Amino acid sequence: MWAKTVTGNFASVIHGLNANHLTDQVIQRSKRMILDTLGVGLLGTSTEVCHKVTQYSKIYSSDLSSTIWGHLDFRLPPLYAAFVNGVAVHSMDFDDTWHPATHPSGAVLPAVIALSEAFPRNKKISGLDLLLAFNVGIEVQGRLLRFSSEARNIPKRFHPPTVVGTMGSAAACAKLLALDQLGCKNALAIAASYAGAPLANAATQTKPLHIGNAAKHGLEAACLASWGLQGNKQILDMESGIGAFYTDYNPQTLPTLQSYPWLLDQQDVAIKCFPAHLGTHWVADAASSVRRKLVESSGNLLPLENIEKVILKVPKVEYVNRPSPASEHEARHSFQFVACSALLDGSMSVQSFTSEKIHRPALQELLRKTQLEHPPDNTPSFESLYCEVSVTLRDGNTIGDRCDTFYGHWRKPLKKEDLEKKFQSNALSVLPAEATEGIIQTVYNLEKVDDCSMLSTFLSGQLARTLSEKLHFF
Amino acid sequence: MGSAAAAAKLLSLSRAQCSHALGIAASLAGAPMANAATQAKPLHVGNAARLGLEAALLAARGMEANPLILDDIPGCAGFSAFYGVYRPQPLAAPGQQHQFLLEKQDIAFKRFPAHLGMHWVVDAALSVRNLLVNHTGSFCPALIRTIVLKIPLSKYINRPFPSSEHQARHSFQFNACAALLDGDVGLASFSEGSIQRQELRELLAKVVVEHPEDNAANFDKMYGEVALLLHSGDVLTGKCDTFYGHWRKPLSKESLLKKFRSNASHVLAEENVEAIIAMVDNLEDLPDGSQLACSL
Repeated sequence: MWAKTVTGNFASVIHGLNANHLTDQVIQRSKRMILDTLGVGLLGTSTEVCHKVTQYSKIYSSDLSSTIWGHLDFRLPPLYAAFVNGVAVHSMDFDDTWHPATHPSGAVLPAVIALSEAFPRNKKISGLDLLLAFNVGIEVQGRLLRFSSEARNIPKRFHPPTVVGTMGSAAACAKLLALDQLGCKNALAIAASYAGAPLANAATQTKPLHIGNAAKHGLEAACLASWGLQGNKQILDMESGIGAFYTDYNPQTLPTLQSYPWLLDQQDVAIKCFPAHLGTHWVADAASSVRRKLVESSGNLLPLENIEKVILKVPKVEYVNRPSPASEHEARHSFQFVACSALLDGSMSVQSFTSEKIHRPALQELLRKTQLEHPPDNTPSFESLYCEVSVTLRDGNTIGDRCDTFYGHWRKPLKKEDLEKKFQSNALSVLPAEATEGIIQTVYNLEKVDDCSMLSTFLSGQLARTLSEKLHFF
Repeated sequence: MGSAAAAAKLLSLSRAQCSHALGIAASLAGAPMANAATQAKPLHVGNAARLGLEAALLAARGMEANPLILDDIPGCAGFSAFYGVYRPQPLAAPGQQHQFLLEKQDIAFKRFPAHLGMHWVVDAALSVRNLLVNHTGSFCPALIRTIVLKIPLSKYINRPFPSSEHQARHSFQFNACAALLDGDVGLASFSEGSIQRQELRELLAKVVVEHPEDNAANFDKMYGEVALLLHSGDVLTGKCDTFYGHWRKPLSKESLLKKFRSNASHVLAEENVEAIIAMVDNLEDLPDGSQLACSL
């Protein structure tokens, strides 16, 4: 039945999509995203920001409870499990990035996993249910982002996960709750009233809450819709609806359900190799390459004292332009910091952002010599930006290199081994090896798992006995 | 933002923590207008209260946000994200000629549960209804050919045929007609039965709206005018510049208490109702603020 409004159309697509619509590529790509998201989330549970939101969330109690990734010692009500796990995913800016720009998985996965644990005992949620709901949540985000040309570039006003992520989470949870079309519509409408956080909190400790809140509020909206709460049935159609977050807004109806063309099929995500703003990944690649050249031409030593100037040609993105970051959050959002770290260390990693690393004298000195330039052809879009790093030495020589596509970008995706390596490295910081292995196997076989609660069990760190009982998809 | 500030105050947060409470709250602020006139609108205020409190509780536990959230930083929006034109100004420090806004600018209290704009139109409608009754001896809708409403231009409160209580509360047309039919607008005006009444729908069909240029969509400047064009050719007009309850014509103490008693007695016993009145009246002398919550 053709809906007359875009909102109604979205509701009928959310309602009508089923597992048969999923394509192999979509399944493969989303499993990679799921694995990466779980890994960064597990690592993120050890961060200070996650610790704070955990302490806060414990003040609420409930009969229902869901898993907090990396923890066997306590559980939280599903809404706050979604919140805490979502914060963990984005805590280090290590999670996936899409084009048009947003962090799609962190807003959806924690919500659907938490929700999957909230059903009555006799109702099982299969891996396929989870995979489908996850993809509905991703798809809705991508579609909404295409309604505004403003969304194609790196944002300036609202942080995209807080706008589309909340909507995606609501859609995904509506799917998992099997709401009817009206329920899906209302879930979207209610979610819009939670959407939108300003960009100014990027590069602060509050930024990770953007993803946590997107997950939590989307789930809340779907739950309220399932209780019959109603919102504006044209929330996606009106300028005063989701259009309020954009200066230009042109909603379109979605394709028909017949062989539905998922955006994830056409456009993959970027997976980060180190925990910092995506824009810095081009910088790291170029800087590492320049360091190699410098070292080769200087007898295998980095000629630090001989460096006169470091110039970075990057797009104009105010919130990643930080000449002298003072905190880990600022360092993750600094072209300058990543360039200098990569020049000093040869590569970037999780450890690059510790307080010692941020404040070391060699780095501070190099930062003072670093400048940014914004060539007009360097557009602030993750699809087209580039970075050129050039180092000028005392003797006048200049060594430079350019990066158009870093390893992990959708044009040059991470190989399976490297994705797993990242996951293991992250997850092993909080979980035992059997659990991390269990997660990998479960995610890779997600469509065959009939009870996805085993994923939650592994995420909490439970093992051995559970492993043999529950691994019955082999 | 206000809720975060109030909770920060009650929690006695440090200056830095107060700043972070505002910063965290900004990331929880904002909802689009489209959900006005729907069942979801009341959540806007509920969430404002809850999320502001959450922001303060997080700040109390050491969460940090952007210390320049209220400042105007080009290229990376803070609170300015919510406005097209944003010009922040510092406040006078407490103790240095700081004056609360509430000293200079009072609030408006509603007499019935609907959008504030409705109150002008209702008062104008009641006034012209009186004229009609004096003119013809009784209120007879059949005498009316057309009802002309002169109202400010505002999409979300211009609804010719509202179909739900939420829509009715956001409809100039509905409120004018209810006032004309019933001689007053109150709680019962927005029931399903009242909204669907045949005579009301008939009256609604006679309404046309005009948006005079001098009628700004602004609660300080707007007016409401209701003109009845009778079949006889006569034209009767009622106009309201300031409705009773507006800050320029505040509710008397008696009217406010009457409204409170009428509302509260729907759910509370009389002694609780009176206890609340007494406690609020003497709030600055109440030793234990939680007693107020107990009576609720």
